[in-house]
Amino acid sequence: MDQRIHRRGMLKGSAWLTGAAALLSGANAALAQTSAEPIPVGQAAPLTDFAAADGVEFRNGLIMACDEINALGGILGRPLEPYFEDTKQMGDATNVQAVQRLIDRYGVHAVINGYNTGSGSAVQDAIADAGIIYLHNDTSSGHGVLVGEDPERYFGSFQTDPSETWYGSGLLKFLSSLTEGGAFTPANRKLAIILSAGTYSSNIANVVREGAAALGWEVSLYETVNVPISEWGPTLSKLRQDPPGVIVVTHYFPADLAQFMVQFMTNPTPSLIYMQYGPSVKSFRDIAGPAAAGVVFSTVIGALQDEIGLDFETRYKARFGADAGHNSGVQSYNAAWIWAVAAALAGGSGAPGDEAQNRKVAARIRAMIHRGPNGTTRFLPGEQAAASYPGGTDDPSLGMPHQFLQIQDHQAEPVLIAPWPYAKAEFVTPPWIKG
Amino acid sequence: MTAMRRDLLLCGLFAAAALAWPMVSGLRYSVTQTTFFFIWATVVVQWNLVFGISGIFSLAQVALFAIGAYVTAMLGYYLGTSMLLAMPAGAVVAVIASIALGLACLRLYGPYVALLTLCVSQVLYVLIVNDTDCFTHPPAGCMPLMGGVRGFSRFGDLGFRDWLGSGFYIGNYYVGLALLTAAILFSILIIHSPMGLAFRALRDNPVYAAARGVDRFRYQLWIFGLSAFFTGLAGAFYAVNTGVVGPVVFSFPHLLFLLSMIVVGGVGTVWGPVIGAVVLMVADELMRELGDFRDIGMGLILVGCVVLMPKGLSGLFQSLSARLAGPAASAAEKAK
Repeated sequence: MDQRIHRRGMLKGSAWLTGAAALLSGANAALAQTSAEPIPVGQAAPLTDFAAADGVEFRNGLIMACDEINALGGILGRPLEPYFEDTKQMGDATNVQAVQRLIDRYGVHAVINGYNTGSGSAVQDAIADAGIIYLHNDTSSGHGVLVGEDPERYFGSFQTDPSETWYGSGLLKFLSSLTEGGAFTPANRKLAIILSAGTYSSNIANVVREGAAALGWEVSLYETVNVPISEWGPTLSKLRQDPPGVIVVTHYFPADLAQFMVQFMTNPTPSLIYMQYGPSVKSFRDIAGPAAAGVVFSTVIGALQDEIGLDFETRYKARFGADAGHNSGVQSYNAAWIWAVAAALAGGSGAPGDEAQNRKVAARIRAMIHRGPNGTTRFLPGEQAAASYPGGTDDPSLGMPHQFLQIQDHQAEPVLIAPWPYAKAEFVTPPWIKG
Repeated sequence: MTAMRRDLLLCGLFAAAALAWPMVSGLRYSVTQTTFFFIWATVVVQWNLVFGISGIFSLAQVALFAIGAYVTAMLGYYLGTSMLLAMPAGAVVAVIASIALGLACLRLYGPYVALLTLCVSQVLYVLIVNDTDCFTHPPAGCMPLMGGVRGFSRFGDLGFRDWLGSGFYIGNYYVGLALLTAAILFSILIIHSPMGLAFRALRDNPVYAAARGVDRFRYQLWIFGLSAFFTGLAGAFYAVNTGVVGPVVFSFPHLLFLLSMIVVGGVGTVWGPVIGAVVLMVADELMRELGDFRDIGMGLILVGCVVLMPKGLSGLFQSLSARLAGPAASAAEKAK
């Protein structure tokens, strides 16, 4: 099959070309080409080790976006050339070395990442030193704080998804809507929280713990597990000793969570199970099999099940195979489009050291409201992190939807059960609670 | 020329060549990667004193490196200490930790030393990553005492950013070069000193060495303490150079990578660890695009060296030079 993407095909074939692609195409047509030299663009992703299932999709998302953008003439006639560095087990020290290598070795104009866990401010500092653009999906509240402290220095750093704290408050709201609407009646008002070490997981867990009492929940278990983890026996025995109405797992590695479900289903408790992010990756369903059915999870960034999202999913799977994880790939795909359109509108991108040009690109990104397969990306002023809907704004056209999904059939894609107006199905009581 | 003078001359030539490298290369990437080489080479040169010269199978060097890095970062982060003070403080704490480890290892031999020192390293790692209790509450959220999984960043630098602007990495390069040069000089002086002879005696025949009055207790503490200073200082400089310290510095793959440098270069020689560091860093760079095959490639190099060159690359160079010198020496003898 011919995988190449042609300009005409792009303009005809994609449902959302009235948006970003049309903008880029218009800018490319209006502005004179200054050079045909490729623009190096980098990505630091966990291409090996435990998060490789996501890392490979981040790479695919960037490759796909670059191909599509190149089919429309690149950025003012200059094609994009992606380069990748492996962040393995991630962590700030590893991440910053990978990003520094992209800058030093390839002279990348922008770094466009999915997530890298354990990221603090080191990468943003390396980006600020080089004066280039950085778009990432670390889902970290620390990003907004960092940019807010020194917006001049961190002008080029953007988080293209909302921060992790929305997960905690969003989950409590979601549980209230389920119980108050009568869709779910918990066995009791006990909440068990299982987290892994790390800022992301513990920040979410802490928000849930702190907000639970106000909504009538009692935290009966708050347990930190050492990850990666495949043996959940000790944790499950505590849950079985005092079965809670809801189990909240804020650890997020797909394989670890799948193992939890497999071992939980040998002797389940009548508890609603909510998990963080991991079940959105296909490998979760592959490993858990039938044990995956009934799990509720959420993601603050993922492809919507609407016209644009489904179109992206179709094209992504046609390109990378039926098993490809488009929900992970959308992170870097969406970010690449934001950067490319902004760079074209700003008159081109800047190499390391060309801070003046990249400041123009950053100004365009800040001003942009971008509609991609994952909904709206709009950057909060002062934070340069994506706004969340409905937690951060009541207007779905101004925030990225915090999607709640449920696996109702382990052989099918999870269904979107919240928020309005994106939901496609109703919540279904998990099979282990039904009996 | 004595072996010590030869090694000192080589050290001088190495430092002179490295001084010119940033001007010759002109590439930021090669300069920053060479700075990392200085750091890793410093660690393995000191590790070689314990492992190669003294024959103590200690795996504590990575933990000592991490202690130097963490102490430096924590002093800067919590107390705002200047990095010029925090770095030597990190090295001193590493020395204290190393002497404590040396005491704990006194009754142990061979693989049991390796197990204990590895255990200490991994316990520190687990304690750090599993600590989710907030020690402070910075605006970015919870900060565990030892930084947790994320670690520390923004704790200070050596001031090269203010002084040299975007060329700050060149300042770090020369600090790294000074560190490695000092570490090699220290290693040469130790190896060729009476203390070095005592270390080798304890390694090759501990019973005979003890019979001749070499005190194992005293010398083992000496070698643990002495080698830890530059290792801790390398960790401190790593923290300053990368601007971040996280638990990855304790990781097992990191430990194996450094240990492989000694094995590939040649255990117990002055220049073996430096050669091993060069070879493995270049190999790692060349195989960077190979994904998982990169680790397999590194493993093949290690296995190849162990099987084909038990004395490492420096041993190979020595035997080759002996062979080349052999016929010439015998010809000179005949002419006489």
